Amino acid sequence: MKNKYCIYQKGHSIISPLACGSSANFEAIASGKSQLRSYGQRWGIPEPFFASVFEDDNVINTVEMRHCTYIQYTRFEKIAIKAAEEAIRNADIDASSERVLFILSTTKGNVELLEHLGSCHDDRPYLWYSAQLIAQHFGNQNTPIVASNACISGCAAQIAAYNMLQYSDQYDYVVVVGAEVLSKFIISGFQSFKALSPERCKPFDANRCGLNLGEAGAAIVYARTDKPEELADSTIIMEAGAINNDANHISGPSRTGEGLLRSIRKVTKNFDTQRIAFINAHGTATLYNDDMESVAINRAGLQDIPVNSLKGYYGHTLGAAGIMEVILSSIALQKRMVIKSLGTEQPGTVQALNVCMENNTAHGDAFLKLISGFGGSNAAVLFSLRQGSVTRGQGSGASDQGPVIRGQGSGVSDQNSEFRIQNSVVLPQITIGSQGIDDQLAQLYRNIGMNYPKFFKMDRLCKFGILGAESLLKDYNFDRENVKADWGIILMNSASSLDNDRRYQETIATDNYYPSPAVFVYTLANIVTGEIAIRHKIGGESSFYVMPEYKQELIEEVIDHAFTANPELTHIICGWVDVDGEECEVSMGLYKRGEMETWKREVVKT
Amino acid sequence: MEELIYKLKEEIIDVLNLEGMKPEDIDENAPLFGEGLGLDSIDALELIVLMEKNYGIKLKNANEGKEIFKSVRVMAEYINEHKTK
Repeated sequence: MKNKYCIYQKGHSIISPLACGSSANFEAIASGKSQLRSYGQRWGIPEPFFASVFEDDNVINTVEMRHCTYIQYTRFEKIAIKAAEEAIRNADIDASSERVLFILSTTKGNVELLEHLGSCHDDRPYLWYSAQLIAQHFGNQNTPIVASNACISGCAAQIAAYNMLQYSDQYDYVVVVGAEVLSKFIISGFQSFKALSPERCKPFDANRCGLNLGEAGAAIVYARTDKPEELADSTIIMEAGAINNDANHISGPSRTGEGLLRSIRKVTKNFDTQRIAFINAHGTATLYNDDMESVAINRAGLQDIPVNSLKGYYGHTLGAAGIMEVILSSIALQKRMVIKSLGTEQPGTVQALNVCMENNTAHGDAFLKLISGFGGSNAAVLFSLRQGSVTRGQGSGASDQGPVIRGQGSGVSDQNSEFRIQNSVVLPQITIGSQGIDDQLAQLYRNIGMNYPKFFKMDRLCKFGILGAESLLKDYNFDRENVKADWGIILMNSASSLDNDRRYQETIATDNYYPSPAVFVYTLANIVTGEIAIRHKIGGESSFYVMPEYKQELIEEVIDHAFTANPELTHIICGWVDVDGEECEVSMGLYKRGEMETWKREVVKT
Repeated sequence: MEELIYKLKEEIIDVLNLEGMKPEDIDENAPLFGEGLGLDSIDALELIVLMEKNYGIKLKNANEGKEIFKSVRVMAEYINEHKTK
């Protein structure tokens, strides 16, 4: 089966504490440089930490205000804009065109602003607001999408870009921008998780003891063509991407690597794995992540392929990581190099890996990017190098029918079975005053007849999501015992996890500083997809997007793309779960491939 | 000691949101993790915060918790010996 379009990189850029620009960053890491260092007192954090931080704000301050003159950009916005600006220039496209879409990848955006906002309402910490400022900086009027999927956000954003270009006729280019800045909020949270290494991280090392965090911005302009033979040599082509959930734990990686294995198998299906020159793993240097990756890579039979992690150069740059690491790996592939895994001294994972210890020659014309994160999400993305006439780039995808017509059941899976986007369940809107909200949620829990003590540990966003999904599936006849790789979950909202972010902020007040790991873990919006995946054993795609407001068309489009890109999916839970102070809104549906089946439930009224 | 055990049980129920549990429901000699209360790794981290916040005890690394959180009684004994507030 072939896809209609070949999706390729047209331009990219990286801005990091190490260097400005993709090539400069690549040269820096090729010569073994890193800006990771120890910080004592910074941002009012009592404990020291080891990180890669922009020391010289002059670099990012070169961003000029444009299109909006009434506010100053924040550090986060400047870094994102700076990366996008350079990528757009390299791609030589008109970013203001309506045929261009912006997708922002970040976990926490401007969250550092919460410290000074107190209870004042301000649009600035909203991820969609940052995305809009960034798109508008380039004169782009399309509503941007934010992929906020914890650590896999950068790859999730690229997969969303692929889908938009492959299956929708609205866009010629997608600008994928990832950025993250560090702050007391993020560092204290990871410290409370005891996840940070006090020294340079050691990915895949026998003595690894945690991760380092880092700041960065990275952007890639993706384009499409139905004439791949006309692409210039050395163009990097995105062959396929996949996301699968472990349905295991919201913060702990699966011991069996199940979700990551499914993603790897999916993107390498119908692809000659001999072509893969290296695997750029997530390699955070935490005990469990690196072990989990080693298990998944071995189970996929790819253990002989050289593996590297770039965390020893930059730390974990969160929302930027998936994009920055793809750019650096792309350049490495073009230069026929495998970059060494800086920090690894003596490999030691539960299953052996061929960790790249020195810069080496790459043997092959493709690389595999792996990334996993909180919420149980695991992504794999496969890239190849166009060379002469051997380009494939139309490999392992799902459909050869071109763009499908939304909502009319015209999509075709590789089994040629029809599917229908089935507008089956939309829950009534919920609006609850903040007073007694937790009591009311508990009442709803009892009314629904749930017995799931974990419910009471969740933040409100997850409670609403869990209640919505419970109501949706209560009387539905499905397998509740085994992880279902053919079920997916895609949720969206406008406030991301801000409701709980404000709660976490209270635990790190200067005069009462006790960062709570149990609150911090819910400061990622996609945890709600993870909680629902665990509860109902959903093992297929799980994604979370943030946008200014509920848009049924967009929800249908995303479902359409998910069914088209993932032929194995039979069911997708999709909807809107938004909690923001006094405003709560849940609207969730079960969408089923195949014959029409409509059923409705009355839910959550107060 | 019995007083501290009871207080600790109340604090654990509160901080770990153990819905519907009363101090009497927790056996102070039973393992805190594994069977019983259904606690996980995040709960263990939260207990580390509890020890620091309420008793001024700072654990250097999370592994120390494994011994201390064997049971509520072991935890209470540790607190009794090391508390600074």
